[in-house]
Amino acid sequence: MSTATAPLPSRRARAVDTAPEREKRGQWFRFALLLAVTLVVLVPVLVTLWLSLRPGLGSTATGITLGNFTAIFRDTLTPTWLGNSLVTALSTVAVAVAVAAPAGYVLSRGRNRLVSGYSLLLFVVQSLPVITAVVPLFILFAKLGLVDDLAGITIIYVGSSMSVATWMMAAYFDSIPVSLEEAAWIDGASVFGSFLRIVLRNSLPGVLSTAIFTFLLAWNDYLVAIVFLRSNTTFTLPMGLQSFFQQNSTDWGSVMAVAVVMMLPPVIVFAALNRYFSVGGIGGSLAGR
Amino acid sequence: MPSHSPALSRARRGVGVSGPGAGRPLARNRGLRRGGLTLFALILPSIVLLLLINAYPLVYAARQSLHQGSLIAAGDFVGLDNYTRVLTSTAFWKATRFTLLFTVVGVFGSWLVGLGLALLLKSRVPGRGTFKVLLLLPWVVPIVVSSTAWNYLLATPDSPLPRLFTAVGWGNPLFLADPTLAVVTVCLFKVWASFPFMMLMTSAALTSVDGTVYEAASMDGANRWQQFTGITLPLIARSTYISWILMTIFSVNDFPTIYLLTGGGPVDATTSLVVLAYRTVFQNFQTGPGVAIAFLMTATLVVVSVLLYRQIRKSAVE
Repeated sequence: MSTATAPLPSRRARAVDTAPEREKRGQWFRFALLLAVTLVVLVPVLVTLWLSLRPGLGSTATGITLGNFTAIFRDTLTPTWLGNSLVTALSTVAVAVAVAAPAGYVLSRGRNRLVSGYSLLLFVVQSLPVITAVVPLFILFAKLGLVDDLAGITIIYVGSSMSVATWMMAAYFDSIPVSLEEAAWIDGASVFGSFLRIVLRNSLPGVLSTAIFTFLLAWNDYLVAIVFLRSNTTFTLPMGLQSFFQQNSTDWGSVMAVAVVMMLPPVIVFAALNRYFSVGGIGGSLAGR
Repeated sequence: MPSHSPALSRARRGVGVSGPGAGRPLARNRGLRRGGLTLFALILPSIVLLLLINAYPLVYAARQSLHQGSLIAAGDFVGLDNYTRVLTSTAFWKATRFTLLFTVVGVFGSWLVGLGLALLLKSRVPGRGTFKVLLLLPWVVPIVVSSTAWNYLLATPDSPLPRLFTAVGWGNPLFLADPTLAVVTVCLFKVWASFPFMMLMTSAALTSVDGTVYEAASMDGANRWQQFTGITLPLIARSTYISWILMTIFSVNDFPTIYLLTGGGPVDATTSLVVLAYRTVFQNFQTGPGVAIAFLMTATLVVVSVLLYRQIRKSAVE
């Protein structure tokens, strides 16, 4: 740890001893340390991948195969679960961003007592356990026919991601100078027009961060799914994986193939959009208000 | 102002609009004075959702915790009976103790690991970018997936990890069947799944620390440890504080990390308050006591988060 605090060798150190040599040795030491930690940390992920690519039960074959994947897509409900998960997560993202972006704009631009009161309310709401909301919503949704329905869980995902999504958007909007909007107002643009054309247009990273956060929340949820989804045709992937896991606890090849199908979208999203996503932004958005 | 205004065209291209707090000083109230009605319309959907999905259930839950209800209908009014039953049960206090332990280990364990890795990643290391992405994986991979992998690795005596322990002569540990070991395993799993978040938060804070401060400090003869405790930690203190708060909230409310690995067992050793509330309602069908547990958690978290919110605002003003 002590080797890592100084980003660069200080000028004095460089002048006194053979700093480049030492720095180089330090670099390779840190590389080895990071490599070891990364390998240990990734064991569960690597095991998942490895087992999903191994030939199925009872087979003595060696090498790797995609057999588990063709099997789960052919013989199980995995395609349905994947579809359910995609529909739910993408609907959640669409609705949450559509609600959070304008609300975040108001939080960012209008700082009076009402607005900061609402901001506090959002902060409190995001800290509450989902379990408290789940029971009353279960009773309400049972009356409305929304239990065992993808629309039902989507509504809950929107509700539980909305507050943080709003804060994230507000924090991003804070970084866009009001003077730009004022220029547009002088031009005759309405508040709504300048929000759309000036603010939102320049907020792609903010919108993407919010979208990623919301997507992950909906994609990874287990608690809401286990309470609200009852039949295996409405299962999302977490439920599907669990049901599969219980019935076929010895067939690790298939279980892990479903697991890989489930972890691919978040990994792809992160690999593709990593540079837009700033978790610092989440913290900053909490600190900024 | 015509469209060739430099500021406007810069804005269209998205140039020069970022930077911390670029819009802050001007932001206060200007927007609200113009088009207050539009602003209200913009925030209205959010308010409706908040009332419907967050406020309504809260009120209903408060009411339900005072009734002897079922999942289908609220029963007779029983006053504070549910709370009395919950607060006098050993299961509740056992779950409270475990939740506290789980949260403390989760927050500080993942913080220490995350901080260490963030510092390593800040220094010059070959393949830094790749490591940064790979180390995020535990956080990116859904808990349902990683708990499956952990189950494969250590759930039964025949799993790879117990067999490895046997092979090197450390006995055959029952990671999920022995109460103490199960607690340790669940906490380790939490740290494993959460450290990338702490790493990201700390990395973001570290990038804003000016490197010249260290040069000045080393001129003054401060060693690396003194630089760390005297400069690095204080400079990232605010961000650290916020990440602790967030991780506390995440940990207290965590359900799948515990439920999927142990289901709360063995002998309730890893039953947290959320797991207890879930099981009380959906497995024992005691809606009233279950909601009472959830409501006690809610009340505590509301108080804590309002206090923290004040604290954050205060430190933001300074």
